[in-house]
Amino acid sequence: MALHLNLFHEIQTTRQLQRRDPLKLSIYGLSAIAACFAGYYVFQFGRMHTINTELNRVQSQFSALEPKAKAAKKREEEINVEIKKSDLMAKRIENRFYWAPVLEQIAQSVPREVQITRLAGDLSGEGLRKCSLTVDGISAGSDPRQVAEDVRTAIAEKIGAKYKNVTSNFKTLEDGTELVVLDGKQMPTATFAINVQLTAGEDAAPPPPPRRKR
Amino acid sequence: MKLGKDELQKLVLGGLLLIGVVYSYFDLLLFPLLARQEAATKSTVALGPEIDNAQAQIKKTQDLEKRAPELTLVLTQVNAMIPEGSPVAWFPTRTADFFKRQGIEKVTTRLNSETVEKELPGFRRLAWGVDLPKVDFADFGSALCILENEELLLEVNSIQIDASRDDPQTQHALLTVRNFVKQ
Repeated sequence: MALHLNLFHEIQTTRQLQRRDPLKLSIYGLSAIAACFAGYYVFQFGRMHTINTELNRVQSQFSALEPKAKAAKKREEEINVEIKKSDLMAKRIENRFYWAPVLEQIAQSVPREVQITRLAGDLSGEGLRKCSLTVDGISAGSDPRQVAEDVRTAIAEKIGAKYKNVTSNFKTLEDGTELVVLDGKQMPTATFAINVQLTAGEDAAPPPPPRRKR
Repeated sequence: MKLGKDELQKLVLGGLLLIGVVYSYFDLLLFPLLARQEAATKSTVALGPEIDNAQAQIKKTQDLEKRAPELTLVLTQVNAMIPEGSPVAWFPTRTADFFKRQGIEKVTTRLNSETVEKELPGFRRLAWGVDLPKVDFADFGSALCILENEELLLEVNSIQIDASRDDPQTQHALLTVRNFVKQ
């Protein structure tokens, strides 16, 4: 068996030791980790760029929409005010009190034995209209007071059929001093004043109930 | 394998350097970047509903604008019904013309008072006294009926009819009417 002498064993050992140098290995390892960190950072930076681009796009979209939305809101409020005004005006027109039917019903309630000398009516209230009427007149007949009473009840019945809370009362009812000729006969007279109260229209919406205290 | 003093120093120094680099990486680079990312994402997400709201508002207003002429038709008609100019100039003439058409010649109209309509901005209400010294009750009744039906902005507030002692066929009527006019 031939004898082999390795004259470079010392050099080889030194090289082997250099290759296994922990410092060097650590530097390699750390460099790899640093590369990973840098890669991750670059990846996140790229993501950040994408997010920023999206944010800028959204912001510019919002900046363009915001003034339009504000103007639209203002315009909506203006239109709503106009609509409210229109509705209120329509309500006011529809809730008007009509006097002509009242006059017609009073005229229908008056018989030929009665002459109306004065008729006065007054209206109050906005939603629920209260109407007060005064009918002054002279009644003639064998019992002029009964004739006046018939007029009062006839007015109450006629008006009560159409309006709410109708009341018809005599303010005055007195025997007249004059005699009138009716159907060729002289008849005694009575003077009267009838007060008629009625309501028309609708009540305003009731106020909301008070909050319960805890 | 034994480490020499020099190598140990290098390792310790390397370790310290590594800790410093890692700390700096996370604290100065990565975490601020992630925080900015989160903030930007939050802002983007937060703007989403606002954009939706703005678009919805614009759409809502556009729809309302389309329906507005129909919804404010009464107001448009009312505005068209009110003549331009001072009511004192046109209302008495208009009333006199109306009663003339109904066969009542003598009419005197005067302004009594003026009320600002708080609920109806842009409008005011004028109260007028309309004096009809010689009317027949039946004719007056039918004229009043036509007036109430024709003049939608007018409402009779009070009425007074007195029989004339001299002429039993005629009466003296006095009306208080209120009508809407432009401010």
